[in-house]
Amino acid sequence: MTFPTNPIYKLVEQTLDGVTRKSILKAEPNNIRLQFGYDEANTDYQEYLEWVAEGNTAEEAD
Amino acid sequence: MSTLKVDGIRSNSATSDAITLASNGTCTANITNNLSNRNMVINGGMVCSQRGSSFANITNAYCLDRYKFRNNNGVTGTFTVSQSTDTPDGFGNSLKVDVGTADAAIASGEQFYLGTKLEGQDLQRLAKGTSGAKKSVLSFYVKTNKTGLYSVLLYDNDNNRMFSTSYTVSNTNWNRYTIDVPADTTGAYANDNGASLEIYWYLGLGSDKQSGSFQTTWTAYTAANTGPGQVNFADSTSNEFYITGIQYEVNESGVATDFEHRSYTQELALAQRYYQVLAQPAADKIICFGGYMATEWIGVVHFPQEMRIAPTLVVSNFTNAFRIYGNGASFNPPTLVTDTAMNTTRSFYLRAIDSTNVERAYLRVLAANSGVYATLAVSAEL
Repeated sequence: MTFPTNPIYKLVEQTLDGVTRKSILKAEPNNIRLQFGYDEANTDYQEYLEWVAEGNTAEEAD
Repeated sequence: MSTLKVDGIRSNSATSDAITLASNGTCTANITNNLSNRNMVINGGMVCSQRGSSFANITNAYCLDRYKFRNNNGVTGTFTVSQSTDTPDGFGNSLKVDVGTADAAIASGEQFYLGTKLEGQDLQRLAKGTSGAKKSVLSFYVKTNKTGLYSVLLYDNDNNRMFSTSYTVSNTNWNRYTIDVPADTTGAYANDNGASLEIYWYLGLGSDKQSGSFQTTWTAYTAANTGPGQVNFADSTSNEFYITGIQYEVNESGVATDFEHRSYTQELALAQRYYQVLAQPAADKIICFGGYMATEWIGVVHFPQEMRIAPTLVVSNFTNAFRIYGNGASFNPPTLVTDTAMNTTRSFYLRAIDSTNVERAYLRVLAANSGVYATLAVSAEL
């Protein structure tokens, strides 16, 4: 799996026991990586939605 | 034996009773110290800083536990936030903001400030939005060599309402500032784990947030009323700002009670609801045991404190920083990810996938690799 650089967000699809689950990766300054789910209570996801609303598009999953 | 029969006891110079006695044999006392669990702010004494002790060129990030510094919308000044030992008597730590690059003029739209957020379920004691709404007091200690007027905003995130006011720094000593916050009978705080109240200490504001007037009664949010007259703390690289002893309490008297000192263990436990370091940036710290499949290692971390939500995985300096051991061998995982759908507020799932070496181990300990330090953490911040 490659990590995002530009854009800073990348979509993730992982399969475990035959079930595919989706999440989002974010690259932050100082070599910090975040991974979070599609949870509206998660402020990282809220910031992702704001970023998308500004017209940006995340990198597609591998 | 005799009985003193009075209805109240008050100071000669006070306008209200310190102790009021009722006909049913009970009394109400206006005690200003030694009450427990009254401070709704976590880490008000700045004792916890799991992310590190110094944050250079910080723009929009959490620094000391529960505090986020924002420097956005084009501010050209740069700042370093750090955990300091410069404190008023009775404290061990403060949060320090230091100007790295000066910004002589703050343009419209620009702002930089420190903030913390509180969950609605922890604010129900305020009875906000009801006829029985309570008054409250925000108090804090500040020391800065940039004197002048500073603004503070309490923002009701559930109802888009605001209370804004100022405090004036007139010397370079540590001083305690007290802000009397009126009750608000409009707009209840949601009784849930979302951000209901946001408290901001401003250090610089553009004209768009200074053109109105302070709202010292709760009212609908208007950006222009945030901080009229706010000084520009960033106008010199010699400027320093320290803050500690932050306390927000239900308080009908308007007189701040003594700061409620909790133990480091208590503050850390409270802060870990929002951020927890699973592996410190040091070598050879065990993170968790795991099992394996043909092409991946799997581990589960159980949190010492239940988190606000199923958290975000935070990894810094990943490359060559972790090793998986077992079966007489070890290797650096090429990736370390989580399965967000399986995470809960109590435990977390880690995966090292796409490894060609993973079959070599049957029981593995994941540890920071010596020489290349990294942090593995989980975040459920507001």
